[in-house]
Amino acid sequence: MESNRYENQICVRFCVLHRLLHIGVMITFTLLAVTGFALKFSTETWAQGLISFMGGVPGAGWLHRVSAAMFYLIVMAHLVWLGYYKLVLKGHLTGPHSLFPQIKDFQDLCQNFRYIFGKGEPPLFNRFSYLEKVDYWAVLLGMQSMGITGLLMGYPEFFSTLFPGYVINIANDLHFHEAVLAVGYIAVVHMSATHLIPEVFPLEKSIFTGKTTKAKIMKDHPGEWNSLYADEK
Amino acid sequence: MNTRTCCKRGLLFIVLLVMGAGSVCARIMPDQSTWFVDMKRFSQAAHTGLSCEACHGTMKEDGRLHPDPERPDFLQSAAKRVYDYARCKKCHAKAYERYLAGEHATAMEKTPQDAIKTYAPTCGDCHSSHYDPAHLSRVEIGKRMTEVCGVCHVAQKESYLENYHGKAAVNLGYDKAAYCTDCHGAHTCKSLKNDKTVALNVCHRCHPKASEDFTEFVIHYDEKGIAEKDDEKNRYVSRIHLVSALSLIFVILMLCAFYSHTFLLMLRKIHEKLRRHDGE
Repeated sequence: MESNRYENQICVRFCVLHRLLHIGVMITFTLLAVTGFALKFSTETWAQGLISFMGGVPGAGWLHRVSAAMFYLIVMAHLVWLGYYKLVLKGHLTGPHSLFPQIKDFQDLCQNFRYIFGKGEPPLFNRFSYLEKVDYWAVLLGMQSMGITGLLMGYPEFFSTLFPGYVINIANDLHFHEAVLAVGYIAVVHMSATHLIPEVFPLEKSIFTGKTTKAKIMKDHPGEWNSLYADEK
Repeated sequence: MNTRTCCKRGLLFIVLLVMGAGSVCARIMPDQSTWFVDMKRFSQAAHTGLSCEACHGTMKEDGRLHPDPERPDFLQSAAKRVYDYARCKKCHAKAYERYLAGEHATAMEKTPQDAIKTYAPTCGDCHSSHYDPAHLSRVEIGKRMTEVCGVCHVAQKESYLENYHGKAAVNLGYDKAAYCTDCHGAHTCKSLKNDKTVALNVCHRCHPKASEDFTEFVIHYDEKGIAEKDDEKNRYVSRIHLVSALSLIFVILMLCAFYSHTFLLMLRKIHEKLRRHDGE
């Protein structure tokens, strides 16, 4: 009885700021993808319908730029929080419980393949699994590349004074390829590995409620337990 | 094999041959070609108020019959190519003047005897005098123009439609984006590749702050459409293609790696779930 209550003990996995940022990223990312691909595939009827629904080319363009600015503000807010976490909360940005890549991630990957082919137990992840770290770094780094190429295309008059004009062409191609990668990754890899796996199907609620249980932590991120109660010990 | 099957097969072969030849001919002949003017369509066209004589005269000005089977070029020349387009000048003076100052007229002068073969276009090649409607909106004109110019400038049409200008203007009907003639000039149809200051003047119409380097942005970046001797542009395009190809390879590799990982992981998880379900 006692242990059962303990198993269902509610723990906080994500703070309010992180939950809000995740919702913000969700909305702006979707808007960016929809407006961007509607322009890329503008010969299709669905794309033309979407664009006219968003107020034609100027409306969709405005939405794309505003969403991009919001997305970048979210990234900045997160970077500010990282500074706060390091300086005020005296947290570790590179420890085993951080999102910083560790050698253990590679070992976890190998262990996970052993598990996938039925030759071992699933890896005991720390606070963030290697796939969750990829989710994080894909957004943080991908956002920089999307932002730079997007700015190049948005202000070609200014940037062609710094670079040769054909760099704008290159930015155009990179922006599209990166978009395919980002949407392809989020829509399939992030969605299935985080939200659609049988344990949590149809939705991993902890990123929205911030809450999780001890049983779930012990299963998905056994290493997290120590980090959550490190102060209380 | 008896004679009958032999005959059947021979007949089939001939039928197929005729059908094949027919489809080839159909492709060569212009699809709307007719010797006579379709008065129903003409009645809705821009020139509908004009009488035939207003443009064609009496057809007997040279004192001969029309049609005259005795003429050496009887049925040999396309009316569209031999018509005297100076007559258009009567109403379209400005357009005619611009045409004469433009690149299509220069191409016509350079090779007058080959003009029909090289197909330097005259008025009638881009405009249908009998059927083109009047009072179209800017977007409608622009969309038709892209098709008309694209008949000869295939690679340029493709690359334009791949570019933001073409997507916004033609696919999405945004009337503030540039159509062919907004850059190349209505009826002058100038190439912009030789002179950066000319090109920059064109860019300035919409991008007033653009500097000369801005003109190095390659709009028609299809290799097929670029002259071999245009070294600078070819260099730019090969650099664009190189970076683009590398990034595409990177994207495909990343997606393949993560997709296969996800697929295998999901298989394992679902497999375990079902096995646990069976065990219960």
